Amino acid sequence: MAVDNEPRETFEDVDWDDIDETTRSFSRKTIVTIGVYVLFAVGLLYDYVLKPSRADTIEPLGISLQALDWLYILTLLTILVGVVVPLYENGRMTRYYWQQFRKNRAAVASLLYLGVIFLIGSIGPRFLEQPTVDSSNAYQPPVFTSAPNWLPVECAGEVAGGSCHGTWAHPFGTTHEGKDILVSVIYGMEVSMQVGLIAALITITIAAIVGVSAAYFGGWIDAALMRYVDIQITFPTFFLYLMIVYLYGGSLFSMIVIFGLLGWGGIARIVRSEALQRREEEYVLAAKNAGASGYWTMRRHLLPNVSNSVITAVTLLIPGLILFEASLAFLGLGDPTVPSWGEVIASGRNDLPNAWWVSTIPGIFLFFTILAFNFVGDALRDALDPRAEGGDQ
Amino acid sequence: MTTNRPDNTTHPPQTDQTPSIPTANDGSTATSRSTPASTINANARGNKTIVNSNTSTDSPAHDSTAAEASSDAKTDEMLLTVENLKTVFDTDDGTVHAVDGIDFTVQRGETVCIVGESGSGKTVTSESITQLFKSPPGSIADGSVVFDGIDLASRTEDELTDIRGARISHIFQNPQGALNPVYTVGWQLIEAIQLHRNVDDDAAREDAVDLLNRVGIPEASSRLDDYPHELSGGMKQRVMIAMALACQPDLLIADEPTTALDVTIQAQILTLLRELQADFGMSIVFITHDLGVVAEIADRVVVMYAGKVMERGSVYDVFESPSHPYTKALLECLPGRGSLGGIPGSLPDPTAPPTGCRFADRCPYAVEECTVGEQPVFESVGGEARDEDIEHEVSCVHYRSAADPSVLDQLDADRSSVPQERPSGRTVGTRDGEGGVARE
Amino acid sequence: MGKGVSPVSDQSGAARTEAPLLSVRNLTKHYPITTGLRSKEVGRVRAVDGIDFDVYPGETVGIVGESGCGKSTAASSLIRLEEPTEGTVRFDGEDITRYDQAELKAFRRRVQMIFQDPESSFDPRMSIGEAIAEPLAVQGLTDASRRREIVVDLLERVGLAAGDADRYPHELSGGQKQRVGLARALSMNPDMIIADEPVSALDVSIQSEILALMTDLQESFGLSILIISHNLAVIRQICDRVAVMYLGEIVELGTASEVFTNPQHPYTRALLASIPTADPTDRGTGIELTGDVPSPSNPPTGCRFHTRCPELIQPDDYAFEQSVWRRVMDLRQKLDGGTVDVDAIREGVVTEREPSETPDDVSATETKARLRDEFAIPQSLGDSRAESVLEAALDDLVSGNPAAARERLATEFATPCESQSPTLEDATAGQTASCLRLENELPPTELEQTVRSD
Repeated sequence: MAVDNEPRETFEDVDWDDIDETTRSFSRKTIVTIGVYVLFAVGLLYDYVLKPSRADTIEPLGISLQALDWLYILTLLTILVGVVVPLYENGRMTRYYWQQFRKNRAAVASLLYLGVIFLIGSIGPRFLEQPTVDSSNAYQPPVFTSAPNWLPVECAGEVAGGSCHGTWAHPFGTTHEGKDILVSVIYGMEVSMQVGLIAALITITIAAIVGVSAAYFGGWIDAALMRYVDIQITFPTFFLYLMIVYLYGGSLFSMIVIFGLLGWGGIARIVRSEALQRREEEYVLAAKNAGASGYWTMRRHLLPNVSNSVITAVTLLIPGLILFEASLAFLGLGDPTVPSWGEVIASGRNDLPNAWWVSTIPGIFLFFTILAFNFVGDALRDALDPRAEGGDQ
Repeated sequence: MTTNRPDNTTHPPQTDQTPSIPTANDGSTATSRSTPASTINANARGNKTIVNSNTSTDSPAHDSTAAEASSDAKTDEMLLTVENLKTVFDTDDGTVHAVDGIDFTVQRGETVCIVGESGSGKTVTSESITQLFKSPPGSIADGSVVFDGIDLASRTEDELTDIRGARISHIFQNPQGALNPVYTVGWQLIEAIQLHRNVDDDAAREDAVDLLNRVGIPEASSRLDDYPHELSGGMKQRVMIAMALACQPDLLIADEPTTALDVTIQAQILTLLRELQADFGMSIVFITHDLGVVAEIADRVVVMYAGKVMERGSVYDVFESPSHPYTKALLECLPGRGSLGGIPGSLPDPTAPPTGCRFADRCPYAVEECTVGEQPVFESVGGEARDEDIEHEVSCVHYRSAADPSVLDQLDADRSSVPQERPSGRTVGTRDGEGGVARE
Repeated sequence: MGKGVSPVSDQSGAARTEAPLLSVRNLTKHYPITTGLRSKEVGRVRAVDGIDFDVYPGETVGIVGESGCGKSTAASSLIRLEEPTEGTVRFDGEDITRYDQAELKAFRRRVQMIFQDPESSFDPRMSIGEAIAEPLAVQGLTDASRRREIVVDLLERVGLAAGDADRYPHELSGGQKQRVGLARALSMNPDMIIADEPVSALDVSIQSEILALMTDLQESFGLSILIISHNLAVIRQICDRVAVMYLGEIVELGTASEVFTNPQHPYTRALLASIPTADPTDRGTGIELTGDVPSPSNPPTGCRFHTRCPELIQPDDYAFEQSVWRRVMDLRQKLDGGTVDVDAIREGVVTEREPSETPDDVSATETKARLRDEFAIPQSLGDSRAESVLEAALDDLVSGNPAAARERLATEFATPCESQSPTLEDATAGQTASCLRLENELPPTELEQTVRSD
C-alpha cells in the first residue's frame, strides 16, 4: 500500500450522509455559464420589451441590434461555452488533437484562412459604411488591372493608352452601381459566417438532442422522434422558403431560421445511429453503476462521443448552407438589404464580358471558403477519432 | 537471400534450400509427404467423408508425426525456415521493431507454437510469413522466410497470393470477423476451393460438404446454406478451419484460434486440429499466449518477448526445464501455480529497443552483461533432451559456456526463503526447483 | 497473503453464523422475444432462471460457466443494472429489488462493478482522473479539488502514478486500465465489488498482477467480491466459494477446494477436464463435451444439461457402454430436432461410388451403416435388445418414417434426465449440486474419453 506522506483527502474520508443532506451546490463554471446566458436573455428582453421600439439598442453608441444579430451573438456565445472553453480546459486533449490536425497542411492553411475571414467579417462591418450606390463611380477596375476607358463613367485612376487603370481607392474595383467590391466582400464575409454558423448551430443542437434522446430512451420515444424526422425530411423546405419570400419578401433571418429548424433530420439520424452504438459500451453501464441519471449519461458520455460524426456532418453542412444562400441571392431570392457574396456575383453576371471582376472576385472568396470548410472537416474527422491513434503497439 | 549474421550461428546448418524432394507447387496435389488419409482431392470425388475421429485420436498426433519426421534426412524435413527475420512498422512515433531478428524452423508434419504476451511480436511473425500485414506501414526489413525452398521474403505480392491459401493457410482468432456475414457458409467455402483449384461448381460443392464433415460439422450438406450468424462461435471456427484446409495446405498458420472460445469448445477445436494434422500431414504454426494450449498441442515451442526469441526447444524440454528467466516467469504466472503478482515492469519501447537482453530490466537474475551488446546468442541448455531432434536453446548469458546456469536455481532458492513483499515484490519466487511443472 | 495464496478458507461452508451480505433468491431474468408492431411476446430467452446464492462479508464468490450461461446477466440484474424479472436480492438485510430511484442511487455506493473489456469500459473522451472521479461527482461530491485529491490517492493505491490522472484511456495498457477500473470501483468505498471477467482480456502475467491487487485490496478494505469468469483457473485461484452455472441455472455450488477437487456435477467435471494443463505429457485425455450450449430461449426439458451430459443416466433395462449410450442419445436428439436428413446421407454414399449411380441405388443397409458412422455409433451395440431397438428405429428412419423412429427411441431409450428436473442437493458438507445421479444415489460413471467432438 502506498504510504500517505501528507494528510490528504481519501475516499474513505468522504461522509456520504453529509453530502446527501447538503443541497446541491453548483460549481463556479456552471454559475458563470448560466450567468452569461442570463445576461444575454436580459439584453434580449430589454431590446424587445422595455426599450422604445424604434430606438437603437444602445443609444449612445448608435448600435442597433436586429433579430439576426441577437441570434449571431447567441451562436458565438454558445461556441465559446461549448467549444472554446472545453478545449482550453482539456489542454492535453487539445494539444493531442492539434498535433493530429497539424499533419494536414492544407487544413491548417484553411483554418487560418477561415479565421481571417471570420475576423475581418466580424470587425469590418463595424467600421465600414455599407457600400452605397454611386453611378459616377461604376465599373472601376481592381488595382493593377485595367479596363477599356469607355467602361467606367469616370475613371478614378490613371488613364493610359485608352485603358482605365485600377487604383487603391477601390482595390477590388466597383460594380455597375459603383458599389465598392472590397466593402461588399467584407460584408459578405459576415453574412456567410452568420448563415453558416447560426444555421449549423440550430441544426446540430436539435439534431444532437433528438438523436441522443432517441438512442438513449429507445422504445416509443425513439419511434416517435424518428418518424417525425422521416416526415420532416420529405417536407419541401425550399418551397416553404419561396412562399415566405413571396409573402413577406426575402430575409436572411427567415432563411437561416427555416433552414436551421427544418434541416436537422439527416444529422439527427447519424447521431442516433452513432449514439446507439455508444450506448452499448461498458462505460455507459459503468456510469449507471455509479448511480448516474439518464441526463448525466447523455450529457457526459453519449454527446461527447458522437461529436466526431456531428463535427464531420457540420463541416459539410456549413459550406452547403453558404453555397445555398449564395445561390438564392444569385437568383434574386435573397435578402435585398444584405450585401452577400451571392448578390454581388449576381449583380455582375451581365457584365462578365467587360467587367469580369464583379462576379469573379466574390466568386473566388466563395470558392475558397467552401473548399476551406471541407479541408478542415476532413482533417477534424481524422484528428478527433480517439481510437485512430491509440497506445496499441 | 540467406543472410546469416554472426550472432545467429547456432542455427543448424540447413541453409541449402534446394527442394530436394519432388513437390508440386501448383497446390492442386499434395506433396509427397501427405498422409494417405487425406480426404479431399481434386480428382477424387470425395472419398471419405465421415468423421473418423475414433480411429485417429487414440494415437496422439505428435507421436506419429514426430516418428515420421525423424525417419528422413533432416534437411528435407524443413518446411519452413525463418532466419533473422525483421519486420518493422513506420509509425508517427518512430519505427516499431515488431519482430527484430528471429530464427525458427518448422518441420513437415509438426506443430510449432509461438508463445508470448501481447506486444511480443508473435502475431506479426505469423503475418510476416506470407506478408499479410498492411504494407505500408509494415515491411520486412531483413532476413529470409524459406518455405519449401522458396524465399517468401523476396517474392512479389502476386507470387505470394498464389501461395496464400493454396500452400499456406491462415486461421484467425475471431471467426466472426473472418466470415462475411452476407454470404452463406457454403458460398464462401466453395469460393475458397475454386480460388485455387480449377473445379466446377458441383465438384466444389461436394468438396465443401466433405470438408465440413471432416471438421466435425453435423448435417454438413444442410449447413452449407446457413449464414455465419446462424452458427455458434465454435462452429464458425470449424468453418474457418475447413476453408483453410480447402486446398490441402502444407502449412497452417493459426493465430490464437481458440482464444475467443469457451474451454469446452477450445478442447474440441484442439482435438480437431490434432486429428486433421494426423490425417493431412500438414505443419501447423500455432500462435498463442496460453501456455496450457501450448502444452496441449505443440511439438516445438518458440518463446518470444519484445520481438526476440528467448527460448526454443521441444515442448517437453521447455515445460519440464524452462530455462530462460522469462519462460520461467511466464509459467509461474499460470493460475494455480501459487504465485500471484505477475512479472514486474513493462515491455520495452518497441521503437527504441534496449541494448543487451530485451528482458534484462524485468529479469530478477539480470547481471551487468545482460544490458550490453546484442540479445545474447543461443546457447544449448544441455541436459538430456526429451526429443533428440529438437535442440533446446536459450538466449541468456547464464547459459554461456563459462557461466553456470545453476545460479538461477540458487537464486530461486534464496528468494523463496525470503518472505515475499508486494506490490513491488518479486514474483518468480516460489519455484520448486527442477522439473517442477506438475500442477499442484 | 490471504485468499490469493490459499483458496481454502477455513470460514467457509455451512457453519456460518454471521448474516450474509448479499442474499440472492430465485433471481430470474427473462428477455421477451417480441414480434410485430404491438410487440406481442412469442417467447422468452431465459438468461437467468431462478438462482440462489449468498455472499458473506469478506468472502470471494465465483460464478463460472460457458458463454451464454447467463452469468453476466446474473451479475448485472442482481444489482439492478438490468431489472430482474423475478426474485429477491437482499443486501445487508434489505430487499434492493424494492428500492426506489433515490434509494437505488445510494445503494450504488455500496456495490461497485468492474467490467470485462478494458477498452470499452472507459469513455475515450474522459481522462483517467475524470473517469475515477465520475462516481464521486455523480453521487454529489461537487468540490473538484476534493475529488482530485481522492483520485490521486486512489491511483497510488492501485499502483499507478498521480500523473496518470491526466492521461487518456488510449494511452494506457490493458492491465493499467483494469487497475483504473479497480480505482473507480473503490472510489465509492463499497462493501462489495462485482467483477465481470476482470482478467479475461489480459495476458497471463498481467492477469496475475490484477488478481494479486484484487486480493490485496480485499484484505485492506474487507471487501466482499463476486467474480464472474469462464476461466476456472482464475476462479480457483482467488475464490472461497464457487457457483457453476449452466443455461441460467446453478448446477453446483460449494467451496472452491471441494468443487475443484471433488466435483459432483457431470458438467463441472467436464469443465474441469477441458482446461488445458500446462503439462505436455498430459494431453487431451479429459472428458470432452459434445455440441454447443443449447439456446436459452428453448432450454431442454428435465435436466438442462442432459443433451450434452456424458454421464446421462441409462435406462434400467439395457446395458450400454456409457460413451455409446451418449452417441445413441445424440442420434435421438437430432431426430427429435428433425435435423437428420436421410437423403443427404444417401447422397453422401453416392459421392464415393461410380458417378452413374443415383441416391436411389443406395441400399437400406448401406444407409443405416452410414447413419451409424455419422453418429459414431458402433455397428453393433453389444446389448442385443438395445441393438434390435436401434436397428428397428433405423429401419423406420430409412424407410421414410422418422416419426416412428422417434417414437420407438423415445419409449425404449428413455432417461430420467430428460423428464425430471434435478434440484440442488447437498452432496457433501457445504457443497450442493443438481444432478439426478446424486438424488438417486447413483455413482458417477467411470468415463472414457469421448472422442466424437462436435
